[in-house]
Amino acid sequence: MPPVIRFIDVSKRYNLGLTRTSLPSVISQWAKQALRGGASSDRKYHWALRNVSFDLEKGESLALVGPNGAGKSTILKLLAKITNPTSGKVEVNGQLSALIELGAGFHPDLTGRENIYLNGTILGLSYKEVQKRFDEIVAFSEIEEFIDTPVKRYSSGMTVRLGFAVASCIEPDILLVDEVLAVGDASFRQKCIERIKTLLNNGTSLIFVSHDMGLVRSVCERAIYIEHGQVQNVGTSGEIIDIYNQVLDRRRIEKMSRADGAADDVEGGVEVTKIEALDANGNPVRETYGDQPLEIRVKYAAYKDIGKANAIVLIYRSDGLMCANMRSHLDGYPLHITKGEGEYSVRLEPLQLFGGTYYAITWIMNADDSDGLAYGASDWFEVRNRVPGREAHIAVYEPNRRWSQNAGVAVTETARQA
Amino acid sequence: MIAQTNPLLKLRDLIWAWTIRTLRGRYQQSALGWLWAIVQPVATVAIFAVVFTRIVPVDTGGVPYILFSYAAVVPWTLLATSLPDMAMSLVQNMNLVGKIYFPREALPIAALLARIADFGISFILLAILVVIYGLPVSPLGLLFLPLIFLIQITLLLGLGIGSAALNVFYRDVDPLLKLIIQIWFYASPILYPVTLVPEKWQWLYFLNPMAGIIASYRDVLIYNRLPGDYLLPAALVSLFIFVLGYWFFKRVEFQFADII
Repeated sequence: MPPVIRFIDVSKRYNLGLTRTSLPSVISQWAKQALRGGASSDRKYHWALRNVSFDLEKGESLALVGPNGAGKSTILKLLAKITNPTSGKVEVNGQLSALIELGAGFHPDLTGRENIYLNGTILGLSYKEVQKRFDEIVAFSEIEEFIDTPVKRYSSGMTVRLGFAVASCIEPDILLVDEVLAVGDASFRQKCIERIKTLLNNGTSLIFVSHDMGLVRSVCERAIYIEHGQVQNVGTSGEIIDIYNQVLDRRRIEKMSRADGAADDVEGGVEVTKIEALDANGNPVRETYGDQPLEIRVKYAAYKDIGKANAIVLIYRSDGLMCANMRSHLDGYPLHITKGEGEYSVRLEPLQLFGGTYYAITWIMNADDSDGLAYGASDWFEVRNRVPGREAHIAVYEPNRRWSQNAGVAVTETARQA
Repeated sequence: MIAQTNPLLKLRDLIWAWTIRTLRGRYQQSALGWLWAIVQPVATVAIFAVVFTRIVPVDTGGVPYILFSYAAVVPWTLLATSLPDMAMSLVQNMNLVGKIYFPREALPIAALLARIADFGISFILLAILVVIYGLPVSPLGLLFLPLIFLIQITLLLGLGIGSAALNVFYRDVDPLLKLIIQIWFYASPILYPVTLVPEKWQWLYFLNPMAGIIASYRDVLIYNRLPGDYLLPAALVSLFIFVLGYWFFKRVEFQFADII
């Protein structure tokens, strides 16, 4: 079977000057050239992509990893036929759907119902096809009671949920996902990931763009590292994530050594650089047991003095169930963040979680706990049950326990009633 | 996987959904709502009626001035409102055009359809006026009505789709278009009958397709006669503009996302 996507030596050049070709500027351009007495080209080009080639097989999932401006979004635009390559060839075999702008074209005055039809037709469905999927969309978005309310009254979370529900119901041959899962609460995020995995199992091919390496690892088999519009590395998602993290570390060091102005790059002035689950010896954990201790350690980089702050650490099960909600200030342990790198950790001793797949997220909140300054999510870790054969996920809590029994005591009338 | 529905059917559904969205957006939070569709042409005619019956009387050929004027103002209003809307339709939805692929012509077409809805409402009032004034209307003439309308739509589509595309590259299109519409108004037989134009200049005059279109609307609606010969050049010029506008749109379509 031929690959569903073939990128053959694709380059894309943007002409930076074109948007500002006004008559006055053209005249001043002429004047300048006349004065200088020679032809000079002030035209500026930007190569968003240079000689990029890759294939995507049916059912395969590929992550595009790289810093902002590396060309990831340009690749998605080329795939979605929004723009044409300057040279090279883009082949797409099959129906393609893009989860790029959730709720694109939603009109605030229209109701949820009307917006589903509007959005569905924009994404390439006919009215009848939207109708067929309508109940499924509403159920997935969890907004049944508000379906006839104008979207302007929705919370941002509801809007995003509806947008994802419409876009993902299309069941395309090829799905493009661009950073859309960064929004919405954790349980819905988890639901979206499950939805994407279901599509993958049903034969959909996936191109995934995210800065969340935990997501990349859990969703994609293969990854490409892109920088300056060129493919730098191709490999398994694990390999590429390691490369990417090295690059990020190097950047961070550069940024820390620069002046205070760097703080502007990061909203909130602080970012979570790493969040890990560690065992009793401080080693990263992929697998553990409920009776073992577990430490969630968060490393952060602050680009300015923040002062008092609060840390939140949440543990989620893979199906989106929140299993622990820990807030440092409620435990009488506010953080104090000064410019520079630092870390905080919370130790669970023992973990007391039942067998299953979990991950931790953290938020660094401002002093009055009203606004999140930074966010991070850990990789998955697997909790195993000590007794083989017990099914995972059927419970949450693995308490420290001791059984007892008193045998041979006579049963009295009162005891039975109790 | 997606059933292979006819792409034209999908385009139709998209245009329809977008038209509803446009109409909702326009009238949702307004007290008069769709009545605004009538307010503008009626107010225009009221002003004209004062000026051109009391101050500078115009020869309407025996027809009440209000009808003479309203029959021209209704199709003109369609042009004057739909063209700027169509021209802005792509630029106003940059984020959509830049991020999602869909047939781009849906946006200007929907902008036109939303104005045609207004046209329909004000046209009903026109029909009522014709009945109230008891003007004789020949059924044969009425048969021409859809044709005249079709010619006007062809013209508007060509101009609107073309300017929508051009507007992506040069935002001058919007103010320029408004200026052109202003001048065009006087070059079309709205305030005056076509008989006022000297015989030897009529061939030039009727190169303006709106001249033939408005004169024809009047012919069948208030003069109880078939459209004059001027409908033919109007049709040809409209068709030419349509082909040109659509060709230009298709030619530059793939650049929209890069510019926007």
